[in-house]
Amino acid sequence: MSIAPEAFDFVATLVRQRSAIQLEKGKEYLVESRLAPLARSAGAPNVDAYVRTLRANTGLHDAVVEALTTNETSWFRDISPFNMLRQHVIPELRNQGKRHLKVWSAACSSGQEPYSIAMTVKDHHADLGLSVTATDLSEEVLSKARLGAYSQLEVNRGLPAPVLVKHFVRKGATFEINPQLRDQITFRKHNLLDQPPVGGPFDIVFIRNVLIYFDVATKREVLSKVRRSLAPGGYLFLGAAETTIGIDDSWERVHEGGASVYRPREGK
Amino acid sequence: MTVTTMWEVLADPDPIFTIAEDLFATMIDGEPGHLIRWYGERPAILHPTYTWVDVLGGDQDARVLISMGHDTGDDLARVLFDLEDTDEVPGVDFDDAVGELVNVVGGNVKSLVTHPGALTMPTVSGGMPDMSGLEPIVDACVTWKGSLVCVSLWVFEEKSTTTP
Amino acid sequence: MKALVIDDSRVMRRIVGGILTGVGFDVVEAGDGKEALARLEENDDVQLCCIDWNMPVMTGFEFVVEARKRDEWRDITLMMVTTEGEQNQIVRALAAGAHEYVIKPFTPDVIVDKLQFLGLVEAKETL
Repeated sequence: MSIAPEAFDFVATLVRQRSAIQLEKGKEYLVESRLAPLARSAGAPNVDAYVRTLRANTGLHDAVVEALTTNETSWFRDISPFNMLRQHVIPELRNQGKRHLKVWSAACSSGQEPYSIAMTVKDHHADLGLSVTATDLSEEVLSKARLGAYSQLEVNRGLPAPVLVKHFVRKGATFEINPQLRDQITFRKHNLLDQPPVGGPFDIVFIRNVLIYFDVATKREVLSKVRRSLAPGGYLFLGAAETTIGIDDSWERVHEGGASVYRPREGK
Repeated sequence: MTVTTMWEVLADPDPIFTIAEDLFATMIDGEPGHLIRWYGERPAILHPTYTWVDVLGGDQDARVLISMGHDTGDDLARVLFDLEDTDEVPGVDFDDAVGELVNVVGGNVKSLVTHPGALTMPTVSGGMPDMSGLEPIVDACVTWKGSLVCVSLWVFEEKSTTTP
Repeated sequence: MKALVIDDSRVMRRIVGGILTGVGFDVVEAGDGKEALARLEENDDVQLCCIDWNMPVMTGFEFVVEARKRDEWRDITLMMVTTEGEQNQIVRALAAGAHEYVIKPFTPDVIVDKLQFLGLVEAKETL
């Protein structure tokens, strides 16, 4: 079942007004899947019917915007970028003579991505120094991320068991990350439209599953700020459904083993 | 006699509530509003079913006991076996389903302490088990679609001589 | 692809088996570790075992130890699926030869994600 065009337009307008995030045609599946749980809990037979109730009930709008703008992050769930990082990107940076990596994990949410980066470096490139600057717009998720403590359900999801027992210690109901890894990460509140955070220039920037929510002009602006934050020879990771192609041609795509990474073109 | 024990970290019902909520959200239904924490006096359960596991052989033996109405157990078994609302639940399936619930809750509860020991196989019965020699630590009830489901944790005053 | 689901609870075998069937496995079942060893003898094409820990007759942990003694089964992926959540239990199971460990309760995604890490299911693109 697919959401009706008028329902999609209504939701897209609402989300754009509230968050400046652009839901373009083709994102119907996203609206459908994110709103289905809300529709069910409201007792609506389907998402279209639920959207009809939204027109009359503005009290529900916050929940809808929240559902469409919240990202789920979970460890190595999307494994290919981390394989790319370990097998290609870090070896290439080593060849450039890097001995200490500076990484920016943008829109880091509750911290799974920066911790996964730290675990990858520790497990496969332990001799390299690492500082990660992890940023998000929400102070609430950052304070959770700083704790580095996750519930059983959170570590069950997307974290291989050998990695779990190596880097976490169970304390009561939560699993806590090794403090040595936590100390490599600095968490900061940051808006992607502001100047890049301190801690750069960065050798690697992760900014995954964020651009999809922006319109083309905003995507371009964010990519341009990211490019200026990169060290020469640096790399950019985007989400699987994202690309610079057709938005900002100052990047070249490096495709390897089913995953893509981007680097600034020479002379741009 | 009051027993001082490692299990007392669980005297606060919150961890048990969380375990119950995670269990229902993942295995039964994640519908918001279906599972609600019950605060206040526990009402009597009509036609009860009891299911329990013991945690034996660690620093202090304990028991995790779930009580609910038999009808509630039937409903939960129907969800777990993907049966229609009107389907009869054979006794063997009933025991299997509610026994697995206490197995999961018991395992999660014991993971919250150090040196807990090992879980026994679940027992399911229409009658309350013999609780002589056990001290209550916590009793946490939730309602699922309006029906009460209570999880209680008890410790044995004496260490058992047998391990499972 | 064939998987063996080992759990004394029929409900749990149904749930785990359903997830595996959904990603393309043929599923055979066993109710305890000893029965599981017999199933492996009969089915030489099993690639994955999902193993409960606490079972009558022979526990899942004992099954892992026994299965790892057999050279012809060394390519079978062993994944614990159990309510045992203490860190030392996870460490013990991995040390005995289990490759992965899922703590009950879990959502289907947890199992599928781990099968992707293990290369048993093709990785899907996530949003």
